[in-house]
Amino acid sequence: MSPEQQKIFEVVKAHTLKVLIDLDPAQVTIEKSLSDLGANSVDRLEVVMNAIDALNLQVPLTALQGVRDLRGLVDLLGRYAERS
Amino acid sequence: MDRNSSVAVTGMGVVSSIGMDLESFGRGLAAGKCGVVQLDPKSGSASEIQVGAVLREFAFEQWHSTLPGEVRSFFASSRKILNNTTESTRWSACAAMQAFTNAGLQSQRSPDDALGLIIAGSNLSQEYVAQNWSRSIERAGRINPKYALSFWDSNQVGCLSEILGARGPGCTVGAASASGNAGLFQACQWIRSGVVDRCVVVGAGSEFSRLELDAFAMIGAACHGRFQNDPERACRPFDAAAEGVVFGQGSGAVVLESRLSVESRGARVLGEIAGISLLLDGHHLPDPSVAGEARAMQTALRDAGISPEEIAYINAHGSSSPLGDRTECDAIKQAFGAGSRQVWINSTKGLTGHCMAASGVMELIATILQLNGGFIHPNRNLEAPIDAELRFASGAALPCDGVYAMSNGFGFGGFNSSLVIRKAEDERRD
Repeated sequence: MSPEQQKIFEVVKAHTLKVLIDLDPAQVTIEKSLSDLGANSVDRLEVVMNAIDALNLQVPLTALQGVRDLRGLVDLLGRYAERS
Repeated sequence: MDRNSSVAVTGMGVVSSIGMDLESFGRGLAAGKCGVVQLDPKSGSASEIQVGAVLREFAFEQWHSTLPGEVRSFFASSRKILNNTTESTRWSACAAMQAFTNAGLQSQRSPDDALGLIIAGSNLSQEYVAQNWSRSIERAGRINPKYALSFWDSNQVGCLSEILGARGPGCTVGAASASGNAGLFQACQWIRSGVVDRCVVVGAGSEFSRLELDAFAMIGAACHGRFQNDPERACRPFDAAAEGVVFGQGSGAVVLESRLSVESRGARVLGEIAGISLLLDGHHLPDPSVAGEARAMQTALRDAGISPEEIAYINAHGSSSPLGDRTECDAIKQAFGAGSRQVWINSTKGLTGHCMAASGVMELIATILQLNGGFIHPNRNLEAPIDAELRFASGAALPCDGVYAMSNGFGFGGFNSSLVIRKAEDERRD
């Protein structure tokens, strides 16, 4: 991961742990999906929207549809961060 | 009403500005403790209104961590369910979890298909709505996704049904300030008709925004005059100097149960709802009605099958509204006749503030604690009673060995409701 991607991953990880309050931080790795970590549909949206908000990005909801795991999410947020 | 159709109260729980559990709430009542404080002008909730009985120290996570290990494990899912939801939902959960364990239901099979759940109250989280509006505007539409669930009052039913394992009937019930009594009324009908064996009723707390508080002030319903910098003296039910309602935060929950269910599981009965009424005046205004309130009290007495003379004590609606308190005095005289001179009267709102939708359930709990504890709590700030013919509790707790009490709840829109409450048999034998 580039330093920019690492920074985005840390933001996503922090929000994952805020929503999935009893999750062991060591479990949150880039190849996992939020579903793998026990997130329900609302939890997933909460993590993603709060990370987008913390990074101050504008990301249309349709852009999130193909995201399969945290790597995909970090890549997507990275592309929008470059544009902003 | 026949003895078998009374509904038992087998569990109680409370969150209030005068006590965060049954024991401290009972002590607060006996001492006439005041929960009203000066509001923080920066809190966003205060403009015209500067006093309130608010829950400043409550934090669900902290409260949960103090539960005994077994109970904490039973309610392990509650922390995640209540994460990023409304404060009102967390108060409701805290009160309901107390009532549930107080009734010994954590040792029952879970989930429980015979357990109903009613959340009493409407428009419970107006401050949450206001904050989410602000967030949406400030952050260019990046809204909190959980808002789609949490803005519904009925989300409290969903959250608590998951925490308690309730799989019987459930819904919210609204009747403005009479919501608590309306929720109890609905649960009593379910239990009497056999729809459900037991039912948790939560009087949910209201999180008002500045808009609701200022609107109450504008129509003259809320205290916003000379007691604005004297919080301990602001709430004064039945006193000539009263200026209006002082709002409060809190929640109360009870477990109601059929006689059959009590017997089959050997539950301990704390008190009984012997009679109950919920009637409309046929208008939509805030104006209280002597005839309507008297009719609610008489209907509840008839439902219980007792005469007014058997009521030892009335837990009045007593909201510290000059017109509301005057109207209730006249209604008590009309419903009780000559007996109105003998019955003791107090108002729990003088201590806790007016906890809106929660107040009916909180005041049922206050009434049972007083009947079982053999006392009547003081009326705070009652220096010049507005009615010399009625028997108001004074500035100190009084002894009381009565068996029956009444609790009144009235609401904007012409809602009138009364409960007849009977002391538990075990307590009567002692």
